[in-house]
Amino acid sequence: MTAESSLRGRTGLRTTEKAGIVFIPVESTFFESLDSEMRDLFRSSSNATGTRYEVVDDSHGTRWVVLDDRDFEDLVSIIHLVGETITDHGFGDRLLAAVFGFDYEGKKAYCIYSIKRGSFYPLVLSGDQERDNAAEIRLGAVMEEHKIPVERDLERWYALWGIPF
Amino acid sequence: MRQRIYGRDTELTLRMFFTMFILGLLYVAFIGLLFWAGINPIVIGIFAVVMALFQYFGSDKLVLVTTRAKVVTPQEEPALHATVERLAAMADMPKPKKIAVMDTHVPNAFATGRNPKNSVVAVTRGLLARLDEREVEAVLAHELAHVKNRDVMVLTWASIIVIMAGFLMQMLFWMSLFGGIGGGNRDRGGGNAFMIMLAVYAGTITVYFLSQVLILALSRYRELAADRASAIVTGAPMQLASALSKISNEMYRIPEKDMRQVEHANAFFIIPALKSNGVPVLQPSEGRQAHRAVADDAARDGAWVLGPAVGAVERPLRTQQTAQAESGAVLLNRDGGVLAPGSDRPSHH
Repeated sequence: MTAESSLRGRTGLRTTEKAGIVFIPVESTFFESLDSEMRDLFRSSSNATGTRYEVVDDSHGTRWVVLDDRDFEDLVSIIHLVGETITDHGFGDRLLAAVFGFDYEGKKAYCIYSIKRGSFYPLVLSGDQERDNAAEIRLGAVMEEHKIPVERDLERWYALWGIPF
Repeated sequence: MRQRIYGRDTELTLRMFFTMFILGLLYVAFIGLLFWAGINPIVIGIFAVVMALFQYFGSDKLVLVTTRAKVVTPQEEPALHATVERLAAMADMPKPKKIAVMDTHVPNAFATGRNPKNSVVAVTRGLLARLDEREVEAVLAHELAHVKNRDVMVLTWASIIVIMAGFLMQMLFWMSLFGGIGGGNRDRGGGNAFMIMLAVYAGTITVYFLSQVLILALSRYRELAADRASAIVTGAPMQLASALSKISNEMYRIPEKDMRQVEHANAFFIIPALKSNGVPVLQPSEGRQAHRAVADDAARDGAWVLGPAVGAVERPLRTQQTAQAESGAVLLNRDGGVLAPGSDRPSHH
């Protein structure tokens, strides 16, 4: 995931200092207590980074851990850590994606890491539920230039509507 | 007598000659203007020719560097080499010296080089992955036609006037900043010299833009000729048409479907519901821009440093309508216009 950080500073692309990881929760004590789990995680590991976090349920029945940090590298490593914690509890197959927020050419954009596919792809919004495919193809090329493994099958560039950041 | 495998297209040939004729007139008018203003066009002319020669002889290397295309050996890409070899034989031309592959998922191709012997034909990984064998063949035939038609040479010589005008424009700009056009004109009187300089400036700008337009038209005609050649050599205009439509419709493959919807569905169905029924909401023109943004590095980078319009001779990104017209094929039917957004969106849980 560290390749992500090289995207910073690229013309037309600016981090929104927000990232999130999205998963399908199941009935389990772990997910019930996710909030306190996260609190433990943050207390032990990233006190110094000053990362703020939030657990959000969306209208799609999925749950987000949303992070807010000015340091992009911290965002990446903590997203990674959250993903690992969920995997360690045996719910790795419930994880959907890690999502990094950007501003691309003045539009709301996201760099989505599909956990199932192990690859990245762009999502650029031109409206509430409208994608700017042309900008996405451009951003995909930018990502590729930065050695980020971009999903080659465009049919798998699934949308994520209503990202809570 | 040499076989004229590409056949003739009188109208296209006429249009090409007409464009070149106007370009020639523009040259004469431009040089006349320079003489009239007391500027020696020889120095600028020599400068422009040197620039053009640099492009002419360096175009293959230059483009390989700017596009970061990697030259592949017959061992690495046997199928690609075999196809190019066969097409070259069919078109009665030597096999291009280098075949290169660009490691990007956007499908595209280009050809460059001053003559068939020193040419480079390059395709992207995306093109190889997305098009089937016969479509790749059609695209390669199109590129080889550029080489055979010596389009790099034609466009290099055509663009000398653009280089000259561009250079003069810059020169006049700096001169006006640092005061006056030089001592030689002083005896004509201050006001007069200023008027002459203004006229030269306006004339140069006009020449610059007119020649750009003419070169664009010329390169478009060369594209049409290459499409035509491809259709004739492969005997399969449909293949080129479908290749072009695949290339230009690439982004319609991006789904509108939400990842969560797919994941939820997959949890309940044995056969993964991965096919999208997404609605394209963008105009074709934006698609072409997207492809160009990525694939025309060659033309952009090299061109504006050294003078426009030379480098890679390639724009295979057209709408279906033009692809249809160009290859003479009856095309796959797709409603080309803008579809209403939101009409067929997946509903949410």
